[in-house]
Amino acid sequence: MACLSAPDRPSRVALTPAEWLGRAFAIVLLVAFALFFVVPLIWLLIAPTKTDRELLLDAPLAFGSLTTLADNWRALMTFQSGLIWTWIVNSAVYCSAALLITLVTSIPAGYALALTEFRGRQTLLAVTLVVMLVPGTALVLPIFLELSAVHLIGNPLAAILPFSFFPFGVYLTYIYFSTALSKDLLDAARIDGAGELQVFARIAMPLATPVVALVAFFNFTGNWNNYFLPYVTLPGRKSPIQVGLAELLSNVPAFNPTNAASTTISLSSLALATLIAVAPVMIVFLFAQRFLVTGLTAGGVKE
Amino acid sequence: MRKLRLAVALAALTVATPGVLAATQAAAADNSITVWFDATRQPSIKAFEAAHPEIKVNEVLDDGSSGASGTFQTKIGLADQAGSGWPDVVFSTQNNDASWVSKETNGVQAFAQVLSDGFLDKSFLAGFTPGALDPVTIDGKVYGLRNDLAPVLFWYNKKLIDQFGYAVPKTWEDYQALGDKLAKDHPGYFLGSIGDSFEGPYVYYWSGEAPIFQLKGDTFSSNVTDPNAKKVTDLLDHMLKNGTVTQDSVFGASFVAKADHLVAIPGPAWYSGALFQNPSGVNAKPGEWAAAPPLYWDKGDKVTGNVGGGVWYASSHTANPAAVKTFLEFVISNDQTAGTGGLPAYQAAADKWLDKQASSGFYAGDFKTAVSTAASHVWNGWAYPDFSPETAWAKIITPGLASGKTISDLAADWQQEMKNEAQVVGYTVN
Amino acid sequence: MSIRPDPAASPARGGLRQSADHRSSIERAQRRLGLAFVSLYSLFLLAFGIFPLLYAIYLAFTKRGAFAGLTNFAKIFRDYRFLPAVEHVGLYLVVWLAGLVVLVVVLALIIHAIGTRWLSTGLRFLYYIPGALAGASSVMLWLFVLDPTVSPVSFVLHALGLNNFVEAMQSNRLPVVLAVIAFWTGAGGWIVVMYGALNNISRELIEAARVDGAGPIRTAWSIQIPLLRKWIAYMVVLSFAGGTQLFVEPRVLSQASRGVVSQDYSLNQLAFLYAFKQSDFNGSAAISLVLLVVALILSVLFVFRGGLFERT
Repeated sequence: MACLSAPDRPSRVALTPAEWLGRAFAIVLLVAFALFFVVPLIWLLIAPTKTDRELLLDAPLAFGSLTTLADNWRALMTFQSGLIWTWIVNSAVYCSAALLITLVTSIPAGYALALTEFRGRQTLLAVTLVVMLVPGTALVLPIFLELSAVHLIGNPLAAILPFSFFPFGVYLTYIYFSTALSKDLLDAARIDGAGELQVFARIAMPLATPVVALVAFFNFTGNWNNYFLPYVTLPGRKSPIQVGLAELLSNVPAFNPTNAASTTISLSSLALATLIAVAPVMIVFLFAQRFLVTGLTAGGVKE
Repeated sequence: MRKLRLAVALAALTVATPGVLAATQAAAADNSITVWFDATRQPSIKAFEAAHPEIKVNEVLDDGSSGASGTFQTKIGLADQAGSGWPDVVFSTQNNDASWVSKETNGVQAFAQVLSDGFLDKSFLAGFTPGALDPVTIDGKVYGLRNDLAPVLFWYNKKLIDQFGYAVPKTWEDYQALGDKLAKDHPGYFLGSIGDSFEGPYVYYWSGEAPIFQLKGDTFSSNVTDPNAKKVTDLLDHMLKNGTVTQDSVFGASFVAKADHLVAIPGPAWYSGALFQNPSGVNAKPGEWAAAPPLYWDKGDKVTGNVGGGVWYASSHTANPAAVKTFLEFVISNDQTAGTGGLPAYQAAADKWLDKQASSGFYAGDFKTAVSTAASHVWNGWAYPDFSPETAWAKIITPGLASGKTISDLAADWQQEMKNEAQVVGYTVN
Repeated sequence: MSIRPDPAASPARGGLRQSADHRSSIERAQRRLGLAFVSLYSLFLLAFGIFPLLYAIYLAFTKRGAFAGLTNFAKIFRDYRFLPAVEHVGLYLVVWLAGLVVLVVVLALIIHAIGTRWLSTGLRFLYYIPGALAGASSVMLWLFVLDPTVSPVSFVLHALGLNNFVEAMQSNRLPVVLAVIAFWTGAGGWIVVMYGALNNISRELIEAARVDGAGPIRTAWSIQIPLLRKWIAYMVVLSFAGGTQLFVEPRVLSQASRGVVSQDYSLNQLAFLYAFKQSDFNGSAAISLVLLVVALILSVLFVFRGGLFERT
């Protein structure tokens, strides 16, 4: 039974009107926002079952037909002989590889910034923050020049390496470790003779599951949605799905009218492609959800 | 753990370095060329590869610089800065790229190969439909090859015209008069739309020979008070007022819902596939619609406008000019795939394409004459600078009309916006 | 409950000198580990953060390699699109930040208070899904959702007095439209972060407050929110920076509206146009630097008020 913040009160005792009002308000808010977030998605989910004509003329949330869905699926699959799957696989490879590197670099870095003392710690924190604030546009040319200088343009590393730089994750880890763990706890372990690596591995890491999950899926989804850098460094068959979607878009007459009709993608096919493109992110989120909650009763919480 | 991390990093780098064949560098030694193109050009590429197996094509699929994506300019800009990464051939759906590919930028040589100074045979270049190469010719030099044409002609619904007993308009004055008749006798029926930003400037102002978008060397000028410009403005305002020209996009729900009330519409050749034969567009039945030569002002020049038509460019950095030459000649003139679905720019291929289209019998009337006339009468007084008139139209006119103003009211602001846009990309404005 | 070393347990007498040595060797070990742990990250930071930043600074103050003082900055300030873009971004920021901070914290608190696991998880999932549609993939979605003639939320649009797509794209309404889009894609992620942060607050504290008679609002205001200080500060800093760098949403709307929303709506878009449309990388870098400085100034404020650098 759903209960809102009143575990001690026996459920038979009536709540005051103010509490009823408060609870009702909270429920209304939750439901309203649930609709706000979900209705456009429901529309997107239904869109591939309609033809373009139906999309324009029928009721927005009316279901189309399964044959249209099949047609759209076929249109997508025959576009450049299934190029959409190449794009998806590319994205999966780049984002997974970057994820591994990110975790290996960011979690220890965040830990070190939060719970160890070394010269330059504050500077590193400050520089990280500053770099996070630099507009992406300013980064494109220098990064392109760097990658071009080592002949990596067109190589998957041209996406993987920049994707692995994740200051947001470092900062997230830093904040997490500095609020969830106390230095005293670690000091105690150190005095008891534990080496630094042991302290990290035996005490900090077990408690780190929520932040690892957080960093993992922000990194994965951020990179999955990253468009501009792969657009310029990985054209053609190496493109990830976001760049691919933009290419699909350029074959939709509504967005590119002057394109002659030999390869056209309908708007509903584009909707289907969009859904395919976001499905992996959904799966990752569902998977990561489980780990996000475990910070609940973790020990070492500060007084 | 640290050693492990180091090892991983080193391994990654070792995999990277030898493994890269920069797909964008041409290697004359193995007779390959790198081509950037979009999905619609695929048939041309495939036909070329089948006909010339000795030339290896490194295919790089992109969006063809559609819409305002600026893919071509962005990537060449970066390649210029890096000093490497140029392709050998590029296709762009925009037809104003010659304005920047012909210039030296930031100290790097102009990207486009000049094609008229001996790179291609003069006889080959002479085979294009007259005027097709205007957008890519600067100071007498040809910088690119037009892939397809999109001249504006006059489409009309033969069924409705016959049903109502009207004559097919030949001039803009006829067109406006027809609008008046429809508004009086058959309200709800209409003759065009300016809801898309390509319609106003290209279909009406360009066809109406209005000098609102002109370039002389590096000086841009726009004159909305010119007599022809004023005539077009008044025509549009008049027809917007009596409802015979709508503000709906031709791809939008409102247009599609009343498409069976469309009596006629001036528009580019590709309306054929995009509107009339499109189930989500006008969805016409065979024989219902017909193509007629473009409208002109009574006592005016018989000229028309143009909406699109892509271009192939050759790189001045190429290491394999012979293969590039073979490629370009094939892709332009090959009967099967030239024009890649649209009206080919090469005259011989265009004739065959028109015969094929006409023989399908979808359109009533003389399809071939209408399109050929339009194709060879595009007004050459229009400019192809490094920006589009569509942006100013969409920014000033479209919202202004939606809030109830007339084009007359907005014309001065529109002109100013075009001049501002010209200035920021480096043109002088008079 | 924190664990303190028990003085009584340490070895007697000689143990004191021993423990001083021990402490300094601990410190040294810590320093070594700390440096080792940040080494790889620092490499990436250098390659993809510091070098690009320095290069951008170099570009902003030079022109074709020669020192150019402030000419690039003068040029961008005089650009006819600059002030309108500043205005657009400013308005957007106000709407965006206010909405984001208030709503994210409120929603996170409410969801956290729900006892049922599946409901809480389900809601977080629902709120988060739109985040997957950030960016280029959402063009088509907004083309339809914001067009009153075909939108699934057309009644909302009609209620706001919008009868067609062009009206919805009018520039006086755009800051709100853009903020709504940004919120739709971005709020879910922050709600998840805040939720996780709330989980780290000891249950006992909440219980103690309830025993003292505090209602849910009082608990939230006096206990939970103060403990979320760092997280909220982090959210504000990043959202402010992200807001000044507004790019994706107006670009998406520009595509969806086929130009009615102009390509130079925001400052970041202007920087983009300078670099890739006008081939003026110096001017572009100048705009980016201006954006960075503005973001920095306000971030410094929040970093110190929110105690982001503290480590208590």
